[in-house]
Order: sequence, then C-alpha cells, then structure tokens
Amino acid sequence: MTMDAKEKEKLTFEQALAKLEEIVSAIEEGKVPLEQSIDKYAEGVELVKQCRQILDRAEKKIQLLGRGEGGQLEVTGELDEQAGEDKQDA
Amino acid sequence: MAAKRDKLYDFFDPSRAKGPRSGPDIGKEVVPQPMSVSLLVARVKQALADAMPGTVTVVGELSNVKCHDSGHVYFRLKDSAAAIDAVMFRATAGKLKFTPTDGLEVVVEGRVDVYDARGQLQLYVERMMPMGAGSLELAFRQLKEKLQAEGLFDAARKKPIPRFPRAVGVITSQTGAAVRDISRTLRRRWPAADVYLLATPVQGEGAAGQIAESIRLMDASASALGIDTIIVARGGGSLEDLWAFNEEAVARAVFAARTPVISGVGHEVDVTICDLVADVRAATPTAAAELAVPDASAVRGWLSQAATRATRRMRQRLDEARLAMESIRRSAIFRDPLGRVRTRMQRVDEFAHRLRGGIRHRVAQARRSAEPPAGRLTALHPARLWDRGAAKVNSLLARLRWALGGRSKRAGDALAGIAGSLMAANPVNRIRLARQQVDGAARQFAASPVNRIRLARQQVDGAARQLDAMSYRRVLRRGFSVTRGRAGRILRAASQAVVGEMIETELADGRLSSKVAGPWDNPSEPRATGGAKPAGQDHAEAPAKAGPAGPPAPGPGPARKAPDPGATLFD
Repeated sequence: MTMDAKEKEKLTFEQALAKLEEIVSAIEEGKVPLEQSIDKYAEGVELVKQCRQILDRAEKKIQLLGRGEGGQLEVTGELDEQAGEDKQDA
Repeated sequence: MAAKRDKLYDFFDPSRAKGPRSGPDIGKEVVPQPMSVSLLVARVKQALADAMPGTVTVVGELSNVKCHDSGHVYFRLKDSAAAIDAVMFRATAGKLKFTPTDGLEVVVEGRVDVYDARGQLQLYVERMMPMGAGSLELAFRQLKEKLQAEGLFDAARKKPIPRFPRAVGVITSQTGAAVRDISRTLRRRWPAADVYLLATPVQGEGAAGQIAESIRLMDASASALGIDTIIVARGGGSLEDLWAFNEEAVARAVFAARTPVISGVGHEVDVTICDLVADVRAATPTAAAELAVPDASAVRGWLSQAATRATRRMRQRLDEARLAMESIRRSAIFRDPLGRVRTRMQRVDEFAHRLRGGIRHRVAQARRSAEPPAGRLTALHPARLWDRGAAKVNSLLARLRWALGGRSKRAGDALAGIAGSLMAANPVNRIRLARQQVDGAARQFAASPVNRIRLARQQVDGAARQLDAMSYRRVLRRGFSVTRGRAGRILRAASQAVVGEMIETELADGRLSSKVAGPWDNPSEPRATGGAKPAGQDHAEAPAKAGPAGPPAPGPGPARKAPDPGATLFD
C-alpha cells in the first residue's frame, strides 16, 4: 500500500482503537441516552470491522532499499529469504 | 678494554688524535680533539642502536599526553624514578581503539632513539595497550563515559516507539541470521506493516561509517516511505565482531535520528554503545522485532472482547427499555382508556332517565287536576323544567368534557350549547331546536348513549305534545274552535274545505260534526288576517274565526308574529 492510500484512511489504526475504547466505555457507563447509544454502537461495529480488515491483510515480502537519484532511498527489489546463509552470524 | 674503547670512538678523526694522554704535563693542558654536536649525537644514536637493537617493550604511566591536529600523539612515559619522552605517529595512533589519557598505565612497544634536533631520547611507540584491560574494553568504557556526560543516553531524550507502525525500516546485513529472524517475527506478529531493508555491512573495516550512513539515509527517507520505526541489528559475535556498534559515529547517527530507533545487537549479554543511545534496547534481533510491532492475535482478542462488552450492555439497555414500555402498557389507562369515559356516560344515561321520568311525572300530575292553579302550571312550565335540567346537564358536561379530553370536545361543546340555549331562550319555542342539537350531540357519542338520548328525546317529544295539547285548550275556552276536515286534518283556510264534506269542530268542551253548506259571505264580519289566501278564490269560511293571538310568550324569543288560529306548535 502506498503512502497516499494510507493517508486517505479516515483513521489510523491507533485512532480507531482509541475511538472504539471510548465508545465501549460510553455504552457501558450508560450515561448516554438510549438513542445515542444505539448510534454509537453502530459506529463501534463499523470500527471493529475496519480494524479487523487491517489485521487480516495478507503478508508481504520485505522490500529492499537502495540509494536513488537525489540521494533518497527507494525500493530496489524484494528480499529473497531463501538465499544461502552466511558462515558467520552477521 | 682499550680496544673496545677504540672501536667506540672510531668516529673520531684519527688524524686529529693526539694520542692518549701522556704523563703529568705541568703547565701545559692536553685535551682530546673536540667533536661536533652532530657527531656527538650521531655517536650516541649509534651506541644506542648497537646496545638496544629492535623494539623494546616498556611498561609505564602516561603523562603529558598531547594529541596534535596532525594526528601524532606526544606523551611521556614514566615511572616513579624516571621518564622518557615518547611519540606515536598518526598511522599507528589512528589504529588505537582507546584514547591515551594522562595517568593511564600502558604497555608500549617501540624503538628507542635519539631525536637529532634536540639530542633527545625518545621512544617511538608502535603499539600501546592498556594495562589491566583490553583496549576494546577500555575504549568502550571511555566512549561510554564521554557520551553519557554529553547526555546521549538520557532517558528523557528517548522517543516512544509507535504502537502500530505503518512500516518498519531494518538496517542490518542482507545475509545472516538477524534479517531472517526479524522478518519472520514481523510477519508473524503484524503483517499489516510494510518492512524495508537497507542492507549494510555490520563488521569489518569501515563498517561503523556505513552503519552511521545507513541510519542517516533511512531517517531522511522515513516520512516518504511511511517508516515509523527503525531497527538496527546484528547477530551474536565477539567484542571485535560487534565493535562497529561501539563506535562514536554510529552513536551520533542514532542520537541524531528523528525516527525512533530500536537496537538489537548481539546476544542478551552484549551491550553496545548503540544499544545505550537507541530509544529502546532489545536483547536480540528477534526481540527488536517483537518490540517494534504489536501482536495481532492479542489485538484481535481485544477487539472481540470490546464487541462483546458493548453488545451485552446494549442488549441490557434495550431489555430495560422494553420492560419499562410493558409496564406502562399494562397500566390501567392503556388497558381501558375509555373506562372513565364510560363512567361519565353512564351518569349522563341516568340523568336522562331521571329527566324523562321527572317530566312524565309532572305531566301526569298536571293532567290530574282540571284547573291547576297558575302557580302550579307556572312551575310545570316547560321552560322551568328545562332550566333545571339544563343546569344539571351543564355540570355533568363539564366533568364529561374533562374526562373525554379533546376528542369529544365537540360533543361536549354541543351539549354545552344545548344547556346554554335552553336556559336563555323560550323553551316552548325551542324544543324543536333542542331536539336538533341533542341529535347532533348524540351522534358523536358511542352507540348506547345515543340510543338512550334518542329515547329520552322521544319521551320529551311526548311530553311536549301533551303540554301542547293542554295549552291550546285555554284558547278554546275563550271561544275559539278548531276545525278538522278529512282525515282529521286541521283546516286553516276556508278554501281548504269542500262543499258538502263532513267537518269536525272542536270546542272547549267537546266536538261537533257538521256538513259544509257553502262559503260564508257576511260583509259585516272582518276578514281573517292570518293564513294563506289562495288567489282569486273565495274562502270557505270555517266556523273558526280570526281572533287575537294565543297566550303570550313567557320569555324573549325571536321576532314575534301573530300565529295562525290554527297554527300548532309543530309548525
């Protein structure tokens, strides 16, 4: 996933979890009127769904970085983890 | 002995030699030929070289250490009784892992020689080792103290590691155990994060510089790549193997990085300077990966738990709300909302019944007496009866209206209208109007009250008729009569009679029947003023004559007009 796509996610994972904690607390305390609680509950259900989606993302390979033009790092390939081991621990 | 001495002083100019000193020479000083300083120093150097060829190994204490910009290190090596100047040139000094400092006990290897320009004895040091510890250990200790004093290890400066990084950057060798351990651990725990590797040599010549450069590069590109955390790692090894991570260059690069750095170098027991400067130290590369990302399965568990908590509580609240609704629904009002209305209705019924009964009773009473005194009749006057009835209806209505609320307001208002107008208006003339109003109100009630009211109305009608009958008898007694024709229909006009038909005349005390002979044409009698006159036709004047109006109306009414002699209350 590129940075742009990530930036477009409405909430970061951390923010989503924090909001969820807030919603669950609000519902459990019961100080919120019933109708609002129902709305919050629906929001919570949506957040749980989003978080689960993020968690269930498929595993990706490690990407190799190298110096590109202008001195910035850029992706040059993927790590082949089946490559031979070194004799020493490195 | 003499021969040896000869050899030593070979560099003397023999031609100048005057030979050994002779015997006592009183008055005349004989000195050997003087040599130049250069010669002297040269001869000393030679002697030294001959006597102490090769390298010497000396133990002593460092003092007066001066590290020049040139890279050469000048110092003094001393013990309690003697000292010798020493120098370590840049080439060898640069290889020193530790920093020579005053007071340090060292063992040096070098050559002793005379520095020509000053004729000074010097020790040219090629190797220097600290006494009591390895140079690496010393170097480590020295750098640690130095950087600690500068604050590079300060806990307050350590940045927190992001809990849910979007991407993790790894600096380590592309081969070796470290990268495999890290990648396996990151993928297992948190596949949501991207992983980038900047392959870097982790030991050997120049490794420290490359590691430092990698850290700088990755930190600079971190935001573009979404790297929230950097891992610097190396598998286990000896102190020499790990030495690059104890170099100052690496420490400075880690300290300068804006991205949080996790250091995972060597095994648990290995602590490097890099570990001390990093924001978090991990015992191993695997541990570094575990610190960099959370455990997805634990987070999944929390999510499920949160969902359960919320759902349970929502169900509870909905159940509570439902119970509250139920108890309201079961309460009396909802079970039988019309209950109170019916109670009121029943009272109206009872009242109507009594009203009917009361009137009938009064009417019967009035009938029984032939000449009821005026007072009693006045009391029996329908107007009075209605006044009383209306008052009662009014009060009941007020309560009924309240009980029924808005829905029956119209009905209540209608009944109120009845009560009001009954009180105010001529009840004799208003009975018809009352009947209409009651009809209207009754229609808005439930079936049974309507029937009862209708029944009451009928009774009222009956009573009214009887009263009506009573009232016109007084007219008859004054001499008027009522003439009825075919089928008992009252004749109002002479033209309504047919010559030759039988007519019936009702007088105060009875009836007469007669036959119509013809129209009465008596010019001395005044014509009838009321009643319809058919155009162009002479009236068949019935024996009933026009006369003054009937009994005057007891109360205010609409515009009064002279009633027909034959008019009844039902017109």
